[in-house]
Amino acid sequence: MRRATRKRLRASLIYAALTLITAVVCFPLLWAVGTSIRPNEEMLRLRLLPEHITGAHYAALLTGRPMYFETATGYRPSTAPAQHFLTWFVNSVLVTVTTTVLCVAVSTLGAYSLTRLRFVGQSVVPYFSLLGYMTPSIIYVFPLFLLIVPLGLADRLPSLVLGYLSITLPFSMWLMWAFLKSIPLEVEEAGLIDGASRFQVFRLIVLPLALPGIIATSIFSFIVAWNDYLIARIFMNSITQLPLTVGVMHFFEGVHVDWGLMMAAAVLMTLPLAVLFMFVQRHLVVGFGAGGVKG
Amino acid sequence: MELPRGRAWELSDRQLGILFLLPFAVVSCLFVIYPALEAVRLAFYEKLPFQRTLTFVGLDNFRYVFADPVFWAALRQTVVWTLASIVLQTVFGVGIALLLNQTLRGINVFRGLLLFPYMVPTVVIALIWRWMFNPEFGVVNAVLRGSGLISAPIYWLATPLWAMVSTILLNVWKFTPFVVICVLARLQVIPLELYEAAAVDGAGAWRAFLHITLPQLKTVLALVVVFRTIWTFNKFEEIYLLTRGGPGTATFNLAVYAFEQATANLKLGAAAATGVVMLTVLFGGSVLYLWLIQQEEA
Amino acid sequence: MRRRERLTRRRFLRWAASGAGAAAFRLPAATLAAEKTGTVRVWGEPGPYGAVAVDGMNEWAQQHAPGLRFAIETLPWSDVYPKLMTDLAAGRPPHCISVESPIAFQLMAEGLLEPVDDLVQKIGRTRLIPAARWEYWGAWKGRQYILPAHHQAHLLVVRTDILREAGVTKPPGDWDWNDQLAAAQRIKAKTKLYGLCFALGRNLATDYYVISLLHSAGGRMFDADAKFQVVFDSPAAVETFEYIRELFPTMPPGAVGYSFLDVVDSMVTGQTAMVFYWGRVFGRAAEINPDLFKGMEAYQHARHPRTGKRYNWNDFQGWAIPKDNNPYVAEVRQALTHVLSSKEWAIRYVHSLVPNVSPVFQDVVQDPRLLQHPFFATKRRTIFEYYTEALKHASNSGNELLRGINPLAGIVHGRSILAQGIEKVILDKQPAGDAVKWVQQQLEAIRREHLRLLG
Repeated sequence: MRRATRKRLRASLIYAALTLITAVVCFPLLWAVGTSIRPNEEMLRLRLLPEHITGAHYAALLTGRPMYFETATGYRPSTAPAQHFLTWFVNSVLVTVTTTVLCVAVSTLGAYSLTRLRFVGQSVVPYFSLLGYMTPSIIYVFPLFLLIVPLGLADRLPSLVLGYLSITLPFSMWLMWAFLKSIPLEVEEAGLIDGASRFQVFRLIVLPLALPGIIATSIFSFIVAWNDYLIARIFMNSITQLPLTVGVMHFFEGVHVDWGLMMAAAVLMTLPLAVLFMFVQRHLVVGFGAGGVKG
Repeated sequence: MELPRGRAWELSDRQLGILFLLPFAVVSCLFVIYPALEAVRLAFYEKLPFQRTLTFVGLDNFRYVFADPVFWAALRQTVVWTLASIVLQTVFGVGIALLLNQTLRGINVFRGLLLFPYMVPTVVIALIWRWMFNPEFGVVNAVLRGSGLISAPIYWLATPLWAMVSTILLNVWKFTPFVVICVLARLQVIPLELYEAAAVDGAGAWRAFLHITLPQLKTVLALVVVFRTIWTFNKFEEIYLLTRGGPGTATFNLAVYAFEQATANLKLGAAAATGVVMLTVLFGGSVLYLWLIQQEEA
Repeated sequence: MRRRERLTRRRFLRWAASGAGAAAFRLPAATLAAEKTGTVRVWGEPGPYGAVAVDGMNEWAQQHAPGLRFAIETLPWSDVYPKLMTDLAAGRPPHCISVESPIAFQLMAEGLLEPVDDLVQKIGRTRLIPAARWEYWGAWKGRQYILPAHHQAHLLVVRTDILREAGVTKPPGDWDWNDQLAAAQRIKAKTKLYGLCFALGRNLATDYYVISLLHSAGGRMFDADAKFQVVFDSPAAVETFEYIRELFPTMPPGAVGYSFLDVVDSMVTGQTAMVFYWGRVFGRAAEINPDLFKGMEAYQHARHPRTGKRYNWNDFQGWAIPKDNNPYVAEVRQALTHVLSSKEWAIRYVHSLVPNVSPVFQDVVQDPRLLQHPFFATKRRTIFEYYTEALKHASNSGNELLRGINPLAGIVHGRSILAQGIEKVILDKQPAGDAVKWVQQQLEAIRREHLRLLG
């Protein structure tokens, strides 16, 4: 009996601690949501809970809230940040999805080759990949920019895909190498003996086994591409070509700081990641834990 | 190459291998290796602002950077920032991982919520931080003043000390989940028999932690700490988007210093030289990291 | 006989053919401009006026180059240098720029801009307001490179209601530096507001504030009459730094991180009673706090007690055309001429942000339609302080005391040298003399590194 009580006590303590910690950790996000539904009149008043709730900020993001001088003069210059939010969102989605697909494909194929094939310098590649991952993007950004311009890609979304590949590919290669390395060769041997081609073995046997790694790599790639700021800021110029990260900073540098609008933008920007995260949460622990650190 | 008809196209193993490796090789060479090499090369050149000619200047850029007191301040601040962040991340990370390593109902919900900060874009959290830590209207000061802990507002982003604290807090908030993930993964493979044996011997929770958990975690922690240190040392966005390196140059780190050299001072060569310094630190850290991995696998 | 007929006919045909030929040669050139397609990128600073000008350019394009579309790209003040650097380095400049004058002067001296002397004629050499000269906007070594868009000065903006509440009786128009400091201190002591606010962050805005005070105190960064030698280290500079240090306790402590828009917010949210600012602050106040707007007035800056000067930092902002890698130079020239020659567009431009953007052509200033903006009902005096009075005390860091354009100013502001200097005094609590010496060294280094620009 005492043991059971102690167990329950222990459990309650753990729940309490976790609840407290979670509340503190999640507070910034909750506060952002709260600010995004708070009307502008109440914004600068120091109350924890708003008196009224409004969807005006979200509506403004979807329809485009004019900046103050527009209402006074009737002029609508095409630079009010709220007007471009949807465009930025679409840009981010396109670039992120493309980057993720390409990154996973290239790194999986490459890692398979690396773990099955024998050639000079083979063992060095994964470690160089890791080095590539740890190189901060501030080092890449200016030479990369000077490279994409002659290709005519400056201020075009494909340049972002290339830029993001340069920062996601190394670690993805490392991850996939770690995963594929741990898939025993015997499994493929069995398939080959049965008469399947190497490619079929790859497609039907290895890929399913490497799925956790592929998911981890996709998540990693998605997060990096969605969240990047530096590369997008240097590569992209026109306001309609920006992804969300750079675009949202325009809310700050505009005419005044519209906190409600900015927090609504922040919430919408984080939403896809939250959705993604809910679905793949389990895999994240397995993927990173097993492949990411131990290698 | 003639593809045999009537079958799925078939290449020899070796050809397939090369084909598979080709995209990676091409992309890496063009967009990873070349920019990195070019970044190092640029450290020995100077580019006139607004012109496109490069002139070879040898070690001048390094001399300029090493003679700049802001560089040394940035280096000092980087060390402080990294140290504080890592210590806090490790302590919190291990603590939270221990809490999450329970087979209690609903633990997955907590796990999800506590790991989410890692995925939030830095831009988003920097904006939220700026709003929360706004001296006049932010919730942090409102709570602190309302509860009587402080009487005058703290100027979080306008005082050198508090700006550093703000950036450290942001870094800890965002990256502790990474530590949690890694430690948790390791915790989950520690055989339960060890704990059961210890319980039989009458050891309490704290001693079990000290003598069983911690040794098991040693290598993972070493790896995580080295990894996070390298990463934190070179972080740009977490500082720049929050304080721009300010007030003044109080929260400059090497990455922000390099960025400012390139974009404000228009000295691309000096920025590249700083980059070389960062790469050197990186290289040293990676060697350590790899050595530790070898140790663990042994 | 027949021979001569044939010759005559052949000659006639040849003449007809050559006439047609000449016409045929002329036609392709005309259709070239009309056939061009693409987007002409125009850079401007945050604000509606750039977009208004671009609308005017598009009006020109509709008639003469329907395939072209002019598009405004607003760059935040902190972003101009990074963007310029990367885009110019990559050979991809904007096709037309309107940015802060020190930056424009630097581009001009680097030889990156298209000369526009012929356009000055077309727009009207004598149309400028009497107090201004074409050179102020951008002339270098005898040629004009930048066309005037507007001028914008920063003035002393006060809340008359708060001044009354604090018991400050001397009219701001009569103040000197001591009166200003006393008023700020009194407001801070007797009301809930801060006395004064301007930017002290590491940015362009702070540099501008320091410069205008420096000029009033009798100091300068560079000596335009002596090959731009650095003359910053002077009693005037020390006095300026110390004055700002004395003012600081009356300012919001967050001012050490402020840039342009933070100062605006400081005023319109009721945090501070006085600011040094450009006209934008009135528009903002009118939008979010009409009661506050009612009590706001602008005055020329406080006189320096010894020199009697009351300089403001006036941005003579104009339109510049990058000349390299720019396929639309001809079109931009024509579009700019179209917009700048039109009184209607000038008035629309000015009305888009009253009284921030001040008109530059005399016929526009005298046009009765200029006064058809709601603000003129209550703020007429303030508006004309910006439009005309400010010119009498105008100065600029790129053209100190209007004695000669200096391209080094752009570099100074890019590194926020003056801001860093004043921050040494305010944040690091260094003595003003040391900070001034530091700034002097930085300025000398910049001059050394960029001597070729001055040559």
